[in-house]
Formats: sequence, C-alpha cells, structure tokens
Amino acid sequence: MSTITTPLLAIRGLRAAYGKIEALKGVDLDIQPGEIVALIGANGAGKSTLMMSIFGRPRARAGHITFDGRDITGLATHEIARLRIAQSPEGRRIFPRMTVAENLQMGADATPGSDAVRAASLERVLTLFPRLQERLTQRGGTLSGGEQQMLAIGRALMSRPRLLLLDEPSLGLAPLITRQIFNAIRTLNREDGLTVLIVEQNANHALRLAHRGYVMVNGLITMAGAGLELLQRPEIRAAYLEGGRRV
Amino acid sequence: MATLATDRTSTQPASTFAFILKKAALSALVALGLFLLMIGIRTEAGPSGQLIYWTRFGELAAIVAAVFVGSIVVELLRQWSGRIGIAATPAPWVGSALAKIGKLLAPALLIFALLVPVIFYNQRYLLDLGILVLTYVMLGWGLNIVVGLAGLLDLGYVAFYAVGAYSYALLAQSGLPLPYLTGSYPFVAVDFLQLGPWAFWVLLPVSGLLAALWGVLLGFPVLRLRGDYLAIVTLAFGEIIRLVILNWQSLTGGPNGISGIPRPTVFGIPLTPGPDGLAAMLGVPFSPTHRLVFLFYLILALALLTNWVAIRLRRLPIGRAWEAMREDEVACRALGINITTTKLSAFALGAMFGGFAGAFFATRQGFISPESFTFQESALVLAIVVLGGMGSQLGVALAALTMIGGFELFRGLDQYRMLVFGAVMVLLMIWRPRGLVGHRAPSVFLHHRTTIAADMVKEGRG
Repeated sequence: MSTITTPLLAIRGLRAAYGKIEALKGVDLDIQPGEIVALIGANGAGKSTLMMSIFGRPRARAGHITFDGRDITGLATHEIARLRIAQSPEGRRIFPRMTVAENLQMGADATPGSDAVRAASLERVLTLFPRLQERLTQRGGTLSGGEQQMLAIGRALMSRPRLLLLDEPSLGLAPLITRQIFNAIRTLNREDGLTVLIVEQNANHALRLAHRGYVMVNGLITMAGAGLELLQRPEIRAAYLEGGRRV
Repeated sequence: MATLATDRTSTQPASTFAFILKKAALSALVALGLFLLMIGIRTEAGPSGQLIYWTRFGELAAIVAAVFVGSIVVELLRQWSGRIGIAATPAPWVGSALAKIGKLLAPALLIFALLVPVIFYNQRYLLDLGILVLTYVMLGWGLNIVVGLAGLLDLGYVAFYAVGAYSYALLAQSGLPLPYLTGSYPFVAVDFLQLGPWAFWVLLPVSGLLAALWGVLLGFPVLRLRGDYLAIVTLAFGEIIRLVILNWQSLTGGPNGISGIPRPTVFGIPLTPGPDGLAAMLGVPFSPTHRLVFLFYLILALALLTNWVAIRLRRLPIGRAWEAMREDEVACRALGINITTTKLSAFALGAMFGGFAGAFFATRQGFISPESFTFQESALVLAIVVLGGMGSQLGVALAALTMIGGFELFRGLDQYRMLVFGAVMVLLMIWRPRGLVGHRAPSVFLHHRTTIAADMVKEGRG
C-alpha cells in the first residue's frame, strides 16, 4: 500500500485532552483509500480518544484532520458523520428499545439517498449478517452481544460510508463470532473497496486482518508498518501477544 | 427468560427477614422525622391571640407504627409478586395481546367519544367533564412528544398552556397587531386588526406559534441538560412564566386574571340566542348546550390533530430521531443526527400543542388567571403521560380518562381523594412500571421494510 495516492484520512500532529489530562500528544496517521488500518495499543493508550477525536469529540487542541482533502478538524460531530464517515462506537451503543430494522434505518436517515439506494444498502447489510435478517422485528436490546455488534456495524454501513471506524468490535465476543465479524469486514473491504480503521486490543486478529497497523502508547504512535510485519516484531509479540496473555 | 429465572432465585436469600426489618425501621425513622412537627405538635391561636400548642404523641406513635407495619407488608408483597425488575419485562405475548386489544380499543374509544354529545346531550355535567378529560388527553399527547418520544423530562409544560391561554386572551382583547413600515421615525407602526367573531380561529394558530416560540426559547438553554437537571430547569421555567403573569399587572391583570374572553364561534357564526346566532340560522330553538357540544367536538378535533401529527411524525426521520435521541444521544450524533434541531423541534412541537390547548381553555372558560397554571397542572399532565406508558398514545388517553374521570368520581371522598390517587399511582408504578400500555409499537416503516427485505433475500438466493 505504498502507492502514491492522496490519503482518504490524514491526521497531522493531533493533540486532544480531557481537561488537563492530555490523551493525544501529537498523533500522525494516514489511511489510504481502500485499505484496512489497525490501531493497536494497551488500555488507556488513547486509541478510542483518537477515534472520537476524528468525530470532533474531544475537540482537537492542535493539529489537523483532513478527510478527502477537506479539513474537518473543527466540524460538529453530526456534520462529520454526514461526510459519510461512519463508526461502530465503543460499547456498540445501539438503540435498545427500537427494533433492529429501526436501528438500521437510523443509520440511513441522516445521509441523503433514494429509497432504492437504501434498499440496496439494507440488502448488503443483511447478506453480510444474515442473523440480522431473522431479528429485524426484534428490539435491539434483546440481541446477544455478537448480534448487537453486527447491528452496530450494519447501522454504520447503512449510510454507505466512505470510511468506517470500528472501535473494539471483538470486545466481549466469543472467538467464533469475532471471526465472523472480521470476515465480514474483510469481505466489505475486498468486494466493496471499503476503507476501514479498526481499533483493537486483540492485536493478533487485528493485525492479520489489516494491511497496515499503528501501535499507540501513551497518546503517541510508536510504531507503524504492514500488518503481518508488525505481528512478527518481537517487541509487539512481547507487549501485546504473549505479554497480553499473562495479564 | 432463563437468565431472569436464575436472577430470581439468586436474589431470594439476599432479602431475608432481617433486611425487611431494617428497611421497615428505616421507613419508620423517616416517618418519625417527617411527622414529629406536623402531627406531634399542634399549634393554634389562643383566645387572646397568643400561640398555644399541645402535643399529640399518641397519634404520632400510631402513624410511625403504621409506617413500620406497612413497610413490612409492602416488602412481603413485593417478594411474593417477584422482583420489580421481572415485572418490568413482560412476556412477549403480553405485549402482542395488548397491541391487539389496543387495535380494537382505540377505534371503540374514538367512536364512543364521537357519540358522547349525542348520548349525554341532556347531562351538562358529563359534557363538561368530557371536555375537561379531552383537554387533558390533548395536553398528555402534546407532552408525550417531549417526554415520551424525545425523552426530555419536562416539568414545566403548563407554561406553554399558559402562554397559549394568555396569548389568545390578550390578542383577542387588543386585536391582532399588524406592524407596517412608515416614512417617518420610528418607521414602524402597528395596526390592531379587530377580529370580531373570527377571533378564536385566527388566534388559535397564533397562540400555538407563540407557545412554540417559547418552547424554542426554553430549549436553547437546556440543550446540554438531561434527566434531573433538565427537570429542574423546566420546573423553574414553568414557575417563571406563572410568576411573570402574576406580577405583570399592567399587561395580564395579575392575580385578577382576564375576563370577558371572546367565546368561540362556529367559523364566524356565534352561538348566541340572537337573530344572527347559529340556532336562529338553523331554525332550531336556542339552547346553551349547543355551545358545550361545539366545544366538545372542537377539543376532540384538536386532540385528534395532536394525535395524528404525533403518529405521523413517528414514522418520519424526525420522529425516529426523537426516539433514538431518547435512547442514546451520543450514538445519534455519530449517525449524523443534529441533536440541536432535533431537541428544539421536540420542544417547539410539544409546546405548540400546549398552546393550542391553552387557547381552547381560555375560550372555554371565558376567564383565566394565574391560578389555573400552577405546578400541579404540570405534574398532573406528566403523571398522565407516565401512567399511560411513555410514548403510547392510547395509554395516555386511557390515563387521562382514569385520572380526570377518577378525580370526579371520587369527589365525594373529599380530601382523601389525593391520598387514594397517591396510593393508586404508587401501586401502578410498582406493578406496571412502564405504564398502562408499556408496549412500544414499532413504527410502520418496519413492516414495509421487512417485506422489501424479504423480497431481496429471495432475489439473492434465487
């Protein structure tokens, strides 16, 4: 992925803080169109903060975020979402009292599109996650954890995103379900050319899936490289694979 | 359901007899603190004007004992009927059965409402009561948009009711102000258009719009507030409006209120005994009941309009956004929903229907004063919404009927009326914490989409 294209998302020197606690201390990150980028790191490294900062909250104190050549640093969250950057947030945050169908429809409501386009995205989501098809009339809160994660991703896909941000999609899921979800992401990337940024603690899975990976420590990117190559590095293995198991 | 069952057995040992006793003792202690001065000591003005007091520790002891025993009984009942958490999640068939009953009940209620003036034509009291109930149904449906759909706890809804009523009363007296430009300083002058018999029909939408404006004005400062904080600010807002009305004597007449508010007309034709009245035009003998019947149908139409708008909007993106906002504001933002406009629109729309109801109230009474717009009214309307099951249109109508109707039914009980209602509300909230009709009907798009989706799968598989 070293082709010379303009990155879809470019982050330069991004700083963000919660009050006095600085969570991002000058982050640089590029995502090329059509690639899957994994962001790995320990708890509290600032991964989720980075993802939320792309969406404008917390607001960047310094630095720039450019999406498709446009500076989106100061935009409101809903304006950023309308540029067709979608996310499956940490903790999934589906609407528990609304049905699965309504949840999916919510994903499509804010972005313009004809009924036919929406029906097509719905079809895509339901072929990727056939389980949701069975659950369409069920309330979101009654789904299992894995189904809720599928719903959260499906809801994000309903806006036909150009960039999909996934925050810890494997959190709390059985390995089999995790594999299903990761397979779906790979399919989306290969068949639809969807660009994905995935934040994970599960470094092994994420780096195998991704074209490239970034490692984050204490609010800074400390390492970057191709996914499989990162996976081979001893310091990564020590910190996030073998080391991770011991803790 | 399996998880619920294990939940139940696991919590059983936790609530032992000691726990019940401890809880009862605590309740008794609170009762002691509360009633020590209220019941325990009685003061009165003595024969020469000085304050005399005597103690009633016997009664105090009786009350504390009653609370102690009552607390034990309530706790035992609670254990016997299962935990509240279990009651909160009824089996799916309960929901679908309720939905089926609701499907029949709603049209039946509507037909009954349409026939009320025919059946009870000679019973003015019942007609009056019907109008009152429908007013609260309308207020309930209006507040339901804000509280039930958008999930914004509004304790000051009566403010919009007041704004609507006073807008109508004041503008009907002065005439509709129409500003126009002039050539000389200050370049703007105002003409007051006298509306005559059309006053109600012109000013009804104006009152609604003014109330909506106040809804937006309230909405702006509370955009970032939620839950308890929002409740406190809206409560204060309701009181501010009432106090301003009470103290702005030169405009609102203060505590004396406004009288002589024009009565409604049947689209310009007055309901009077004179030769140009409706009765004379139809060639029937005049009866004061005509006005009651007209008012009844008027408020029924206004209430149905509120209901129709709420139901329609629920199926549109804005209504879905309200409901999603109630569930998770952060997720909404991430999906591209503009929370600011979503919130303000809910406040404005809810307030507008409150304003309509207020204008109706003013024209029905012919007299308004700040006394009609106390916090108690807000609390009553909110109770109707919560008891009815937040977000359920039918539930709100049923709750308004039982609450307002019940108030009248138990008029004979006098001061115990409130006590009975308090008890009923507590019991209802324990056994049906989601309200009378807690089942949330999915918006219709669902059905529609499901069929489309099913077609697509066939296509995909074939």
